Amino acid sequence: MRNRVKDLRAERAWTQADLAQRVGVSRQAINAIETGKFDPSLPVAFRLARLFDQRIEELFFDDQ
Amino acid sequence: MQARDETGAYRVSIKTAVRLVLWTFAWAATLALAKFGPGLLWDSRQPVASWVAVAVNLAVGIGWIVAFARFLRAQDEFQRKIIQDALTVALGVGWVGGFAYVVADAADLVAYDVDVAVFPALLGVVYMITILVGRLRYR
Repeated sequence: MRNRVKDLRAERAWTQADLAQRVGVSRQAINAIETGKFDPSLPVAFRLARLFDQRIEELFFDDQ
Repeated sequence: MQARDETGAYRVSIKTAVRLVLWTFAWAATLALAKFGPGLLWDSRQPVASWVAVAVNLAVGIGWIVAFARFLRAQDEFQRKIIQDALTVALGVGWVGGFAYVVADAADLVAYDVDVAVFPALLGVVYMITILVGRLRYR
């Protein structure tokens, strides 16, 4: 699953560690989400969407 | 170990990790006591002392299992995935390797007896290597 997490984080000049702290996950989790190696659970996806003031479907895209 | 937010999840995560380390050392110490105590610390013909040492080792082992479960629950979902992958590989290696050894031994293909203590040690080493690989992969 692709996503815009890295772009939205960069717009706010946050580091991965900053975002991780705000969402309540590890920095490695943010890195894996950004690189598409790990798809977050719905609660984490909702926290990310809320933090970036986006809807989930504007943040995550199905590959198919 | 690095899940953190304003709710104090990071502190809980660190606390559970420290407790797990302490339980691991305690379990290893009681295991050493049960193994080397007979003969070194008490007469090996004293089965009561040996049984007590084994019982203490089992009790501390149960504490270790509970500490590991709490440690897992304190991790974020991504860290749990890395640990789950490592446990899967360790279990797979133990299962496949263990049964391969059993059938090879039954067919008289193995010339020497392997100490049973090698088995959990092998699982531990495989687990640690897989954790390390997982952390490096998602650095």
